Amino acid sequence: MKLVGIVGSNADFSYNRLLLQYIKKHFKTFVDIEILEIKDVPLFNQSHDQTDSAPIQKLKRKVLAADGVIIATPEHNHTIPAGLKSVLEWLSFKIQPLSNKPVMIVGASYYNQGSSRAQLHLRQILEAPGVNAIVMPGNEFLLGEVKDAFDDQNNLKDQGTVDFLQTCLEKFAKFIKVMSAINEPQKDLSAEEDLEATGKIDTTIEGVDMSAEDWVEQASKKVGAAEGDAYVKLNRGILTVNQLNAFLASMPMELTFADSNNQFLFYNYTAEKEDMFAGRVPGQVGNPLANCHPPATYKNVKWVISQLRHGNEDVVRIHVPTHGPDKYVVHSYQAMRDEADNYMGVNEYILDFQPIIDWYLQQTGQRLAKDETVDVDATSSASTTQTEQVDSVSGASEKDNATVEADSVSGASEKADEPAEVDSVSSASVKS
Amino acid sequence: MNHFIGLVGTNSDNSTNRKLLQFMQKRFSDKATIELMEIQDFPIFNKPVSEQLPEVVQNAAEKIRQSDGVVISTPEYDHSIPAALTNALNWLSYGIYPFVDKPVMITGASYGTLGSSRAQSHLRQILDAPELKARIMPSSEFLLGHSLQAFNEENALNDMDQVKKLDGLFKDFQVFVELTNQLTNAHEANKKEAEDFDWETI
Repeated sequence: MKLVGIVGSNADFSYNRLLLQYIKKHFKTFVDIEILEIKDVPLFNQSHDQTDSAPIQKLKRKVLAADGVIIATPEHNHTIPAGLKSVLEWLSFKIQPLSNKPVMIVGASYYNQGSSRAQLHLRQILEAPGVNAIVMPGNEFLLGEVKDAFDDQNNLKDQGTVDFLQTCLEKFAKFIKVMSAINEPQKDLSAEEDLEATGKIDTTIEGVDMSAEDWVEQASKKVGAAEGDAYVKLNRGILTVNQLNAFLASMPMELTFADSNNQFLFYNYTAEKEDMFAGRVPGQVGNPLANCHPPATYKNVKWVISQLRHGNEDVVRIHVPTHGPDKYVVHSYQAMRDEADNYMGVNEYILDFQPIIDWYLQQTGQRLAKDETVDVDATSSASTTQTEQVDSVSGASEKDNATVEADSVSGASEKADEPAEVDSVSSASVKS
Repeated sequence: MNHFIGLVGTNSDNSTNRKLLQFMQKRFSDKATIELMEIQDFPIFNKPVSEQLPEVVQNAAEKIRQSDGVVISTPEYDHSIPAALTNALNWLSYGIYPFVDKPVMITGASYGTLGSSRAQSHLRQILDAPELKARIMPSSEFLLGHSLQAFNEENALNDMDQVKKLDGLFKDFQVFVELTNQLTNAHEANKKEAEDFDWETI
């Protein structure tokens, strides 16, 4: 279960921050909490719309992607601090990421009140139509006299408090499950993905046929791209193009980049198609993503990209089992974002985890044992049938007559005569 | 003649709450002076350790201190007062206590039907906090709903019933100010309580 914890204070030191850090650390086997700060969020002003600014977009994206939100609020003047109120106003102005989102409220204060009055106000604010969050009823967690509440390791001293906190979190986890059952499904934006890359972004190179075999040569000529020993300044370093190439080629995985316009622009070409987990050929670079996939897979490709673009997921991982039982090949589709948090495209990396797992086991002297209490999930269940045709973001554009081939943003075949086609993108979507 | 501060409870360029205070300023000019106070230049409050207050805050505090009372007109954002007003009040109670025992009248305008009623009720609770401890005029509310349609071209309120109500409330407020000036027995204690309220030493 993925949660975000919002620190309701913009002060440099905050016991509410400490409380969230404690919850994150102490209950990490139970819930995965990312702590979000509100320091950089400007004061809300409806005459000066800053909804698109980086700190607000980041909060939006993280909240959207979370299963639930924990807000830790101090109390100033019998209500929540201006900084927190400001954040909620931004998140209810043009965007509504908290809409239908389960929220749990906690709070710490110097006095014995534990921010009780601020918490009541916060409940009312979160219920407002513009915010429209679903606040967990009951289970108020009020941490009073906070200065004496933590030991020098920043752990809560009182076991009763810890136990109650655990009860609250367990109830919140159940609350999230119940609420997700009654919530309307989120709007599916995947239909809007343009796999033909007909749009244009700042970095699109125009006037070169995207399908051309020598697109890279033509395009680099057109923009005078640096090559060879020319230097490229990076965010922390300078490399020559040759060094950069060697660096990317040395990555122990297959890397592929498609930009936010859904144009396939790069892969770290180190092997021929037949030697890759997901076969790609140099002539494909420059193609719109539609050219790299058979039409039957468009729906899944669009789904993955829209998850990343709209911040529902930072990464979509798909296990592709067709490489044999001695490998654990995972396609990871990682969203790339600029410093202002705008979607820049997808970085797909394909890696066989098995050598890493083996190395880890050898180093630590451990053995793998099946956990009987865990259900096999939808993604890994695909691995049970080795004869299945698996297709992640791809599939196939060329016919290959013998072996089953899995593939991602690339060529590779789709065999019409294979039995039941399992598509790992869609099985992953069942899971999520 | 009384001198009041009309605190505009928003940082928005266009505000019917500002308009309402401007209307009161004009309407009651023979009874009191109402000086409008804006809050959009207050930086965001973050409990600075230095307790050094920005000049804009110090000036505002001084004006409030010297006034006979404050009229706050608040919009309603998400069932409460705007962050900008919370922010101003956070500053105006951080090591300084201009509101302690200061007579306050609350008004509010909103685009919808409710006239910022929930924000006003929060504002009462907030002004009652130990670091603010204002004397809020009790049992009175001025809720201006559908405020976009409420003013004519001369920026006067259209609805004479509303104007009559406001006239009455303002008269009451002036009486309340007089009364409040007699409620001095607890003033020293209130002031001390506010001053003793220190985030770091409680």
